[in-house]
Amino acid sequence: MSGIEIGRLLRSGTTGFVVGCRVSQLEAPSFGALVRVPLEEGYQVYGLIYDIHIDDDGLVRQLITAEEVPEEVLRDNRENRNVPVEIGVLALGYQEGGRIQHLLPPRPPLSLDAIYLCTPEEIVSFTGAGSFGYFRHILRDESKPVDELLAAHLKAAKEAQQAAGNMDWMTGALQELIALQRDDYQGLMNLLRAAGDIQA
Amino acid sequence: MPVNLIEIQQRLTDFSAQARARHEKLATRRQEVTDLFEAYADRLGDLREQFQKAAQVNPHLRCAVPLDEPLDAVVAMPDLPGTFTVMAADGSQINPSRHARVAFCVINVGIVTMVRGSGEAPSIQTHSQLLDFDALYTPGGRMISEGLVALKRDLREREALAELAAGLRKPVVSMTDGPLELYREPQESAAYDQTRDRYLEVLGRLRDQGLITLGYVDKPGSDLIARLLELVQLEDDQLSAPPAHKRRYAGVQDAQWLEARLAQPGDRSALFGIHSETARAFTGDLALHFFYLNVGLPGKPHLARVEVPGWVARDRDLVGMLQAMLAEQAAILGTRPYPYVLHRAHEVAVVTLPEHQHVEEMIVAEFQRRGIPVAEASYKQYHKDLETTKTRYA
Repeated sequence: MSGIEIGRLLRSGTTGFVVGCRVSQLEAPSFGALVRVPLEEGYQVYGLIYDIHIDDDGLVRQLITAEEVPEEVLRDNRENRNVPVEIGVLALGYQEGGRIQHLLPPRPPLSLDAIYLCTPEEIVSFTGAGSFGYFRHILRDESKPVDELLAAHLKAAKEAQQAAGNMDWMTGALQELIALQRDDYQGLMNLLRAAGDIQA
Repeated sequence: MPVNLIEIQQRLTDFSAQARARHEKLATRRQEVTDLFEAYADRLGDLREQFQKAAQVNPHLRCAVPLDEPLDAVVAMPDLPGTFTVMAADGSQINPSRHARVAFCVINVGIVTMVRGSGEAPSIQTHSQLLDFDALYTPGGRMISEGLVALKRDLREREALAELAAGLRKPVVSMTDGPLELYREPQESAAYDQTRDRYLEVLGRLRDQGLITLGYVDKPGSDLIARLLELVQLEDDQLSAPPAHKRRYAGVQDAQWLEARLAQPGDRSALFGIHSETARAFTGDLALHFFYLNVGLPGKPHLARVEVPGWVARDRDLVGMLQAMLAEQAAILGTRPYPYVLHRAHEVAVVTLPEHQHVEEMIVAEFQRRGIPVAEASYKQYHKDLETTKTRYA
């Protein structure tokens, strides 16, 4: 099994799922990262991290009021206590029988399934399959920071694709986004501005 | 609506008037205690003499015993050592219940060990003890009381500290929540004596291992110093066990009138001995002592009572280290000061309701596997466990 395990599934649905992780695992996942959940043989679900959420609790709220928090106490709260870290993932597609589909997964992952960060090779495989059909899942949900999410994803995917020698991937991705957003001028402008930040 | 708020509201005027009257009565008493405190600050010999007379005629006497420091001593905390270990143990329990399907008792103890100055995460341990089935019943056949379980829990807390003492970076301060002194339930004197003797043995072990031991009492309601001062107001013929309702300074808590004196965070009061029926079993190195300590913030004092054994009380450098260490631990929790490690030990130890149910199910399953009869829960318990949220039929 390749990739870094970042946590286990707390709850899921067809369009996305939520992963719980320990604070010590929190260095690996980042906003916009592509993840996968291997399920039964040959079937795995892909998704994009759109939110990393750290809840407080009574003790943490009280510690905030102290003038100084010793290092031992910081580590106690991060390593020993059940600090609830939740990672929201948007479902983008799945792989079944070796074939990647940019469709919503037929079956969502189950509780406690392990979630892995995709390796550059897996990013190349998923983002290079088909013709960017997974973009519509990202663009559909206006409750999420779509522009920033796409920008973060495009940056990671562009790096992986270019490292694999696919220098035109970014151009194709932007053309597809322009086509998908042609009826939403403001949305398109926001997206292009975010994409411009990546290029810079 | 489960509470008739209108009835409560109608009683509030009287209730508040009673509270005000009591408040004013206690304020007067507090002032009298404060005056006596100042008058007798250096008359330790007179106080000790009166205490000795009272102790001879009143077997139930409970009060502070002055040592060598003036009553009104205020001792500032010294600097902390660079590196030291602080341990805390706290316990919680599942009490045996005749209403449950099976009788069982679990004592759960959480231990937190923090090496300050190390930058390392504290180590966390939990010890869960299922009491022997035979230990659930008294020789008379009754189920053991919650008081006795609490006593066993107190013992387990200290045992757990002693078990983990080896190899710790010294100096080591070990603490538990509540007094070091034990309270007894009269109907269980044999079991109490047995547990107390074991408890004293463990306190001795902690001393031998060099673990500085303390009991931490937050928001202390004790009146040990007021009780001592009360003695000087009594004639010799009144010294033998005055009835509780005749106590002159009843309700006056030491912490309330000492608060203004221990102004700076880390300030402690004079050290006192504890005289009581139960404290009498703690002798020599283990004799019980206490002091009040301001663990609050500048301008907002908050007093705790700290109980230590005699071998710690005798060494004022150790006492100073305790002051500084406790003040630092309490400051970690900011505006509501309380030793951090003690809070964490409590957090680790607490037995939740689902855990309680899980343990019960494990025991029931084992009994059923072995063909041991399992009773039904009492119907009272059954109905209590029912969903209480009101529902509506369509």
